[in-house]
Amino acid sequence: MSKTIAIIDDSESIRELVGLTLENAGYKVEMGLDGRDALRLFDNREVHLVITDLNMPHLDGIALIKEIRKMEAYSSVPILILTTESQAAKKEEAKAAGATGWIVKPFVAEKLLAVVQKVIR
Amino acid sequence: MTDKLLDIFLAEAQDLIVEIEKALLLLEQDERDQHAISAVFRAMHTLKGSSGMFGFESVSAITHHLENIYQDIRDGAAEMTAPVLEVTFKTLDHLRALMSDPHLADSSNRENHATLLTAILDHQQKKDSAQPLTKNSMSAPGGHDEHTYYVYLLPHDHVIKNGTNVLYLVDDLLALGQGLSFPFFHKLPELHALAPDASHMGFEVILCTAKPEQDIQEVFLFVDTDCDITIARLAEGNKIAALHKKQSNQTHRSSPIGIEGFRSLLAGNKRERVAEKVKSVSGNGYANSVRVSGERLDDLMNLVSELVTTQARLSLFSNHNASPELAIISEHIEKITRRLRDNAFTMSLVPLENLVVRFQRLVNDLSKELNKEIVFKTEGTDTEIDKSIIEKLTDPLLHLLRNSIDHGIETPAERIAKGKPAKGTVHVRSHYSGAHVVIEIGDDGAGLDLERIREKAVAKGLIDGRTHLEDAELVQLIFLPGLSTAEKITGVSGRGVGMDVVKRNISDIRGEIDVVTKKDKGTTFIITLPLTLSILDGLLVKIGDTDFILPLTAVAKCYEVETAQLESTYNQWMNFDGKRIPFFHLRNDFGITDHKPQHSQVITVTHNGAPVGLAFDKIEGEYQAVLKPLGEFYRGQHEFSGATILGNGHVALVLDPHKLITKLNTLHKN
Repeated sequence: MSKTIAIIDDSESIRELVGLTLENAGYKVEMGLDGRDALRLFDNREVHLVITDLNMPHLDGIALIKEIRKMEAYSSVPILILTTESQAAKKEEAKAAGATGWIVKPFVAEKLLAVVQKVIR
Repeated sequence: MTDKLLDIFLAEAQDLIVEIEKALLLLEQDERDQHAISAVFRAMHTLKGSSGMFGFESVSAITHHLENIYQDIRDGAAEMTAPVLEVTFKTLDHLRALMSDPHLADSSNRENHATLLTAILDHQQKKDSAQPLTKNSMSAPGGHDEHTYYVYLLPHDHVIKNGTNVLYLVDDLLALGQGLSFPFFHKLPELHALAPDASHMGFEVILCTAKPEQDIQEVFLFVDTDCDITIARLAEGNKIAALHKKQSNQTHRSSPIGIEGFRSLLAGNKRERVAEKVKSVSGNGYANSVRVSGERLDDLMNLVSELVTTQARLSLFSNHNASPELAIISEHIEKITRRLRDNAFTMSLVPLENLVVRFQRLVNDLSKELNKEIVFKTEGTDTEIDKSIIEKLTDPLLHLLRNSIDHGIETPAERIAKGKPAKGTVHVRSHYSGAHVVIEIGDDGAGLDLERIREKAVAKGLIDGRTHLEDAELVQLIFLPGLSTAEKITGVSGRGVGMDVVKRNISDIRGEIDVVTKKDKGTTFIITLPLTLSILDGLLVKIGDTDFILPLTAVAKCYEVETAQLESTYNQWMNFDGKRIPFFHLRNDFGITDHKPQHSQVITVTHNGAPVGLAFDKIEGEYQAVLKPLGEFYRGQHEFSGATILGNGHVALVLDPHKLITKLNTLHKN
């Protein structure tokens, strides 16, 4: 059974790019437009991995991670954040909130899949 | 990149630019509008991220710096000023132009780009702290030497709650090379205090890899603050084999061994070796023992063999008698016997190193005699083999080594002419491979002269001059009796009495020999041997009333089929798991006609890399067979490697599936 990955980013292009890459690799993909919109994805359905941007309107990535971790069903689901080189401090903040790891933008497909492979198989 | 995605990006970029523009207009009214500042920052950030992904580097460069400025303003580290606003407006126009000219082909765009960048950088109060992209995933060019690393990993309790799977980390580590993992549990609390979502285990991994240490650190990229991690180089080269057998004694530990612990384990290994070596030189022949004489050890082995046989009988008896108490006793005895057996066997193991001392002398003597310069390299010589195998291995190995030095390695002058170093290399390598030991003897000399082998074989009438043989087949000819390609017979080797005898000696101890050769690169002989000769884990199978043992190591899969189906295929192929697999109906081949069953069992074995099925009537179960030789009259029956006495007193023949298949193949062809 293919694993389900939730992608949350307010940028449609990033969402589609990440989604397409993961779908081509055989994953099932669900998308959230921002933190608040993403919350509807976590209704006890099976989510094996969450990939989220940090800077988003309504509910930002850090707050989203905290919300996800509060839900019992998703208390230990791997969460990867999308970040940029200049946001080293954000990585720590996200980790403290409960993130598992990060993907640094810009990235190529192989790099993305390698990082995903690090946390789910 | 598909056009659809690019279209999405371009549309999104336009939207973002508009969004920024709107926010800027608000800021023109009120420079302290926090909401607008955040909006600009967020839009810049998004634009920077996606433009980088879509190859719009010029866009990502310029937005990167602007984003920094707005971040400072948002965080109160800088003031919003009219000039900043102005330069942002200008940038927006420039960004629109960049959407159709991302690579700055137009000279006015290029000029504009440079001016804007300078202006933005002027405004940026805090110097850009972004590091240049580090290419740390790229490993350094050229071959790294293998090193053995010690990695200590103790995840903190909460690591699972962060979505980390600790076992993946261990898997990732082991995927870097060859390694052993040693789990420890000293943090494991009492049952009542055990939290199911907390991590209580740690791992010590001994890893041998040629990859740089950075790759090991990379594994822990996401968890370096969630785990106690130590990475240290334990030793040069590959020490996994040396530690391998130590592991069996170490499986139930609660505390970590520690790097010093592993160092002393390795050192301890060496000390044992030295002790054995000293004994082997002073004692008679091989190091039969450290404290016990070889004779007594043989006695012990015999007794253990008898015990294993008797225990098998007891198991059988208890299975047929429904007495729970007897079953418990029988199982217990089985367990103890198995351990006793394994223990007794390790006693009769001696490291290959005992032979290597003799090899070294041979190399020294011969190279002087033949005026050749030779470096002798050994690897994995701490691999242990049953002493009875080593005894029978000495002559073949010495012969191969002699051949390598005499025929393989060229004279220094010839080597220099070929552009090789004047000094030749002869190597002996050994390692475990499942229930086998592999020994390689090779050189970097001239390689076998295939053309001459062919001529010789034709001259001797071994092959027909017209038949075409592949190189791999030609090479195999050297194992035929009476073939020697030496130009002149030297006193050292080369009367052609060698290779066939070597091959026979090795198959006598259930081993196989193969050769790989390349012109001017060298020749390597690869010998595969069983770990031990006298006991075999097998599958007890039946055809009619006759029992057979099939070595468990050979068994790949078992299938049940209707006997009628086996008989109805005309070309002996059947579908298993959707694959067509050739099979032999052994009932026919062995000429057994009694008690034909309704269903038969097809056991697949891997022969020359492909599955081949062998059909039996019934599978009785696993069986530890004590191998007895077949006796003189049956010596020619290579498809049976021996016999064993079953618990009920019956004799079961032990099949050598590979030789059986080879023989059946030739029989069926004719």
